[in-house]
Amino acid sequence: MSRGLRLGSEFVAAIFVGAGLGYIIDMFLPTRPWGLVVLLLLGFAAGVLNVVRATAQMNAETAVPKDTPALPDDEDQ
Amino acid sequence: MAEQPIEPIHQFRINNLFDIGTFGGNGTPGSGTHLAFTNSALFMVLTVGLIMAFLILGSSRRAIVPTRMQLMTEMSYEFIANMVRNTAGTEGMKFFPMVFSLFMFILVANLFGMFPYFFTVTSHIIITTMMALLVFFTVIIYGFYKNGFKFLKLFVPSGIPIYILPMVVLIEIISFLSRPLSHSLRLFGNILAGHIVLKVFGGMVVALLGAGAWGFFSIAPFGMAVALTGLEFLVAALQAFVFAVLTCVYLHDAIHPGH
Repeated sequence: MSRGLRLGSEFVAAIFVGAGLGYIIDMFLPTRPWGLVVLLLLGFAAGVLNVVRATAQMNAETAVPKDTPALPDDEDQ
Repeated sequence: MAEQPIEPIHQFRINNLFDIGTFGGNGTPGSGTHLAFTNSALFMVLTVGLIMAFLILGSSRRAIVPTRMQLMTEMSYEFIANMVRNTAGTEGMKFFPMVFSLFMFILVANLFGMFPYFFTVTSHIIITTMMALLVFFTVIIYGFYKNGFKFLKLFVPSGIPIYILPMVVLIEIISFLSRPLSHSLRLFGNILAGHIVLKVFGGMVVALLGAGAWGFFSIAPFGMAVALTGLEFLVAALQAFVFAVLTCVYLHDAIHPGH
């Protein structure tokens, strides 16, 4: 469950930050809807990136060490 | 008690225990910054006091054959030291005091929250945000101090074609800025939600017991509350660990930018 919550919060946080940045840019520049739109979409991309990184890191933590002897299976007999 | 409506949020209310005084402002009521020693501050002091007592008592003897207390202290040190070495590298041991303090503070604060009638410090987002921002600014300041402008390579992954580089850099910056948000929200959300759910199930037991024959069914939420209490202990320890691991991961970026 904590893994799922971690991935979820990584994804959502990036979207919020993207949308927030876009909103701030629109407040100061005359680009009104476009800053929010573009940065919200980039926020989604950053969220996916966060999730991919977090998953890669979790997989690396639980990876089987390379020098583990292979288990015998049916084809060996 | 029975007449009061059961309010799951009530446990998070901050009360002033005694006033310290008002600073600044022009003397009219409501101006300036009012400071008071709150129940949140009381439990922070208790948390730090317990950690200090644990570590000082545990490390005072320094016996070669450790007592139980000393063993527990040494194990908590070894645990965090190994994690820092594995995740942030040997250079990351410079930040061991910070990671260890954060871990112990969150762990003890979370476990304090499991006592009935105790206040849970980490269920307030301002506490978790300040800790996450501490890590965030440590990473930025140490990254620039150690690597100079090479730290910005963190945002420019190698081997990217030049025509999509601006977009990738923007995505990396958003990803970097989202770290303190997810870092703080995760701890806050887990602790807050867990305590609310416990209170709701506890309240359901009371409500069913007060409803005559329906009291028979109160065994169901009661079992749920017991199971959730076990889960909350797991969450309390796990979230402290996750916070410390992520601190190390972020510190690794400050020490070795550009992977």
